[in-house]
Amino acid sequence: MKLNKSLAIAAASLMTVTMASAVQAGGAELFQTKTCWSCHGKDAKTPILPIYPRLAGQNEQYLLNQMKDIKSGARNNGQTAAMKGVMGMVNESEMAEIAKWLATQK
Amino acid sequence: MNPKLILQASLLALGLAGTAGVYAADIVKWNAAGGEEEEALHLKPDLENGMDVFEVCSACHLTEGWGVKNGTFPQIAGQHRTVLIKQLADIRAGNRDNPTMYPFALPESIGDAQALADVTAYIAKLPMNPEPGRGPWPEGTPEYKQGGKLFKDNCVKCHGDHGQGNAEKFYPRIQGQHFEYMMRQFKWIRDGKRRNANPDMIKQIKGFSDDDMKKVINWVTYQKVDPKLLAPSKDWTNPDFD
Repeated sequence: MKLNKSLAIAAASLMTVTMASAVQAGGAELFQTKTCWSCHGKDAKTPILPIYPRLAGQNEQYLLNQMKDIKSGARNNGQTAAMKGVMGMVNESEMAEIAKWLATQK
Repeated sequence: MNPKLILQASLLALGLAGTAGVYAADIVKWNAAGGEEEEALHLKPDLENGMDVFEVCSACHLTEGWGVKNGTFPQIAGQHRTVLIKQLADIRAGNRDNPTMYPFALPESIGDAQALADVTAYIAKLPMNPEPGRGPWPEGTPEYKQGGKLFKDNCVKCHGDHGQGNAEKFYPRIQGQHFEYMMRQFKWIRDGKRRNANPDMIKQIKGFSDDDMKKVINWVTYQKVDPKLLAPSKDWTNPDFD
């Protein structure tokens, strides 16, 4: 089953990240459990639609600002309608973890 | 950019057009015959392929099809297959705005009418979460009792005496569904945001206050689901995706 393989890879990469830094593991795990990767891709650079952004390596502060603004509704243009519903599951410190981890991805 | 992707992108833009702030007034005709819904209903489902297709859905609805307790994603396990086909076909046809799910529901992501037939057969057979997200007032509270009264007076005719729905008529099973998900959908149906709502329901709940809504949905979340439809425990995991 394809999923088995992807989960195995995800688990393996989580372990690698965990060994590197506890803080980073939080972001990687949250990127999965908060379902960010369903749209933005498991590697954060293969989005399900071409008009969704690649997030890997993006600036940390920029990522955090976008997440906060989409959640609050301050930003409601473009594709934000697709993401707003999910943001109810993510609090600000989790956003910060995710942003920090994404910024380190290549 | 290849033509397929451009098409996908424009389809998405179209799909989102109706959602920008305004509550779209164009309620679509309830369950008009034909289209992909009709096609999928008459195809013979292949459960093996349904399982493969379900992998896409599981990214949000989880491999158990249980969704998320806080209602961000609904439980779809154990839902009537007819309801699943109708809702998927409606989302694909642009009759129900769901910008989060839309790209996943596209033929490019999951396949044609046969895929709808297959994946819905698989989902309908998944055992349900025995502990869905529930409302704040358990049996014995006045609010529970008031909710039960509201249900009896307004909802039983279509959703059944315990929210089991009616497969033949495309009325969803609402027992076992997460509280917050139902709160959102009820509101969207009452306020005209959910365009594929049943007009009889819109009329029926027009006079419901937010307080009535909360009580009636609370009551539904405490209704017993047929044990045959339930997973043995809340810790059950789908062995197909071990």
